[in-house]
Amino acid sequence: MIDTRYAIRLSDVTKRFGNHTAVSELNFDVPRGAICGLIGPNGSGKTTCLRMIMGILHPDVGSVSLLGATPDDVRRKRVGYLPEERGVYRKMTCTEFLTFLAEIRGVSRTEGWKRSNDWLERLGLGGWADRRIEALSKGMQQKVQFIGTVIHEPELLILDEPFSGLDPLNQDVLEEIIRDFHSKGTTILLSTHLMDQAERICERVCLISNARKVLDADLKELKAKERTGVVVVRFEGSNQWLEGPEIDCIHESNGELHLILKDGADHQSILKRGLESGVKIYRFDLVEPRLHEIFVRHAGTESVGDAGMPKNVTLELQ
Amino acid sequence: MSVNVWAVIRREYLQRVRSKWFVISTLGGPLLILLLMVVPAYFLVRGGQAEQKLAIVDGSNVLYERIAPYLVNEGLEVEEERWYPDVVTSLRKEATEGDLWGFIVLDELTLDTGEAIVYVTTRPSPIRQLTLQSAITRAVMEYQLERLGVDAEALLSGGDLSLELLSEERTSTEEPQFWVAYLGAFFLYMVILFYADSVMRATLEEKTSRIVEVIISSMEPWHLMLGKILGVGAVGLTQLLVWIVSGFLIVAGGIPLLVSLSPGLIPVETLLPALPGIGMVTLFVCLFIFGFFMYSGLHAAVGAMCNTDQEAQQVRLPMVMLLVIPIAMVSVVIVQPMTAMSTWFSLFPLFSPFLIWARVVSGGIPAWQIGLSFLLMLFTVLAIAWIAGRIYKVGILMAGKRPTLPELWRWVKEA
Repeated sequence: MIDTRYAIRLSDVTKRFGNHTAVSELNFDVPRGAICGLIGPNGSGKTTCLRMIMGILHPDVGSVSLLGATPDDVRRKRVGYLPEERGVYRKMTCTEFLTFLAEIRGVSRTEGWKRSNDWLERLGLGGWADRRIEALSKGMQQKVQFIGTVIHEPELLILDEPFSGLDPLNQDVLEEIIRDFHSKGTTILLSTHLMDQAERICERVCLISNARKVLDADLKELKAKERTGVVVVRFEGSNQWLEGPEIDCIHESNGELHLILKDGADHQSILKRGLESGVKIYRFDLVEPRLHEIFVRHAGTESVGDAGMPKNVTLELQ
Repeated sequence: MSVNVWAVIRREYLQRVRSKWFVISTLGGPLLILLLMVVPAYFLVRGGQAEQKLAIVDGSNVLYERIAPYLVNEGLEVEEERWYPDVVTSLRKEATEGDLWGFIVLDELTLDTGEAIVYVTTRPSPIRQLTLQSAITRAVMEYQLERLGVDAEALLSGGDLSLELLSEERTSTEEPQFWVAYLGAFFLYMVILFYADSVMRATLEEKTSRIVEVIISSMEPWHLMLGKILGVGAVGLTQLLVWIVSGFLIVAGGIPLLVSLSPGLIPVETLLPALPGIGMVTLFVCLFIFGFFMYSGLHAAVGAMCNTDQEAQQVRLPMVMLLVIPIAMVSVVIVQPMTAMSTWFSLFPLFSPFLIWARVVSGGIPAWQIGLSFLLMLFTVLAIAWIAGRIYKVGILMAGKRPTLPELWRWVKEA
């Protein structure tokens, strides 16, 4: 039964390549109009998952439905897909390339030409419209690629690592455009290994690790539910008091420690132990957990791998 | 055909036709031929001007009127000089001091042996020497034959041999036909392989630049392959047509022009009837189209299954090696177009474009076999398209190791 409330539905999807299982028994929905993040470390199966949604790969087991139909039927005209490894026809000019992409998705040539120029203008590439793509810098090429993804005004956008390779300024520009599409009702699914970014943009997240789904929930609800789990502390003295059964793991950020608590653990007992040990505590704050911390709690530290956040460093790209 | 296939065709076509190499190679061919014809003609004309004025001392009294028109035709200015004892001395003086290039002395001996002496101030070109010599011998023969009361003109123009074929078999060896057949087959081989190779490179480039993922998410892989093949094929056809039309113009307009400039080149005119007519040109173009479809399909599959240029060249090697067979056989087939071996090899679809051409030009093929070969090629085109389409669909998104044969077979089955 196909449910039209969902833009994307994956049911029990498994995909193997030889002996390697890239995606295992994945169930995952994206409601229409939502902006959803597919999050996980490199090699966790994100790209395979998106390729199956796009009908480029076919699942070995399970089914994918896209906008209430099979991927093959709808992907062409109604979906915009930005793959992780993006290519261009280097010898074509920007407008030729974009018009071509519009045309193969059913937009007329004149309309495609007009939209190409409008978009190039909007992203500050107006002066480059008639230049060959090979003359553009990498960042500019990425903008052109993004325009190519949205030129046919799709109702669903699937973006694989859309921010990778962009400088912070352009990341902001792109973020703005993505929000803009979202506000116009476009459903957006983006994959990223940058959790902070996902946290800023997404309403929903699906965390996958080692080919399996770890979490799939509304971000606000998730955070509310996980609220008891993280304590930020700043103190002076020995850190022996932090060794206790309540704490799952600890990582450092901006000179403060984030204590990730085990399920149902009581933070009061930690505070008590701290006061008794005689260290000077400047901050002991029960905070809303960050996505990264939720992920670590559910998937375990080892599975995070290189999930964009080295243990002791947090990158804030603002 | 769906809109997106047209978009791919247009893209492939325009990108290629607008590129520098296309313009250069398309216009370069005819220009080269033109150059090969114009340059010698230019020198012939120029050389002629320096050797204009020639006196003829006719001791035989019968040769001058026969030789003069022939030499005038060659661009020489001719004047008759009466024979008198000191004629050589005075003409020699006139030549070294005045504007006389030289003079020919003909006597009674010339009438028997064709021997004559030419006194010149500057050395004539070999062609001009030949012209003078043939003008003299021809005049002598005309005179002698007329004395015998035979039709000298008919005899000297080479007689007329009419051919009555008793069997269908026909062998051509040193005729112009041989070269039309041979060069035509070789030319087909080069153009077909060149454009099929372009399809392979384009596929490989799309794959390695990863643009293909964007395209495939918007259209069927099979449509992309089709569009690519048709687009590149259209470029090949454009080039062929430009070459054929300009070649026709050059040869049809150029050879008569050349001959009019220098009648000594009259033998070149015998080439004209040997040149392919409109029917042959159509056949040539059709063979190109079918050959191109077969080989470009195979090349597209090779491009899709490989990751680097070297890899693709390796995989392509057996295919190119296979093509050595028809090329090696072309000359045999031209000479003996009706043998069983010629028939079977030319009907093998992958060889047909080259060998059918050779057999048709050398005149040794029944019409039904031409029809059959096109039917077989059509089936082969469809079979290759079906298999290559499946390999293409799987291969175009594959990275890493090149597939083994069993893996390829699985792709074909499962795609």
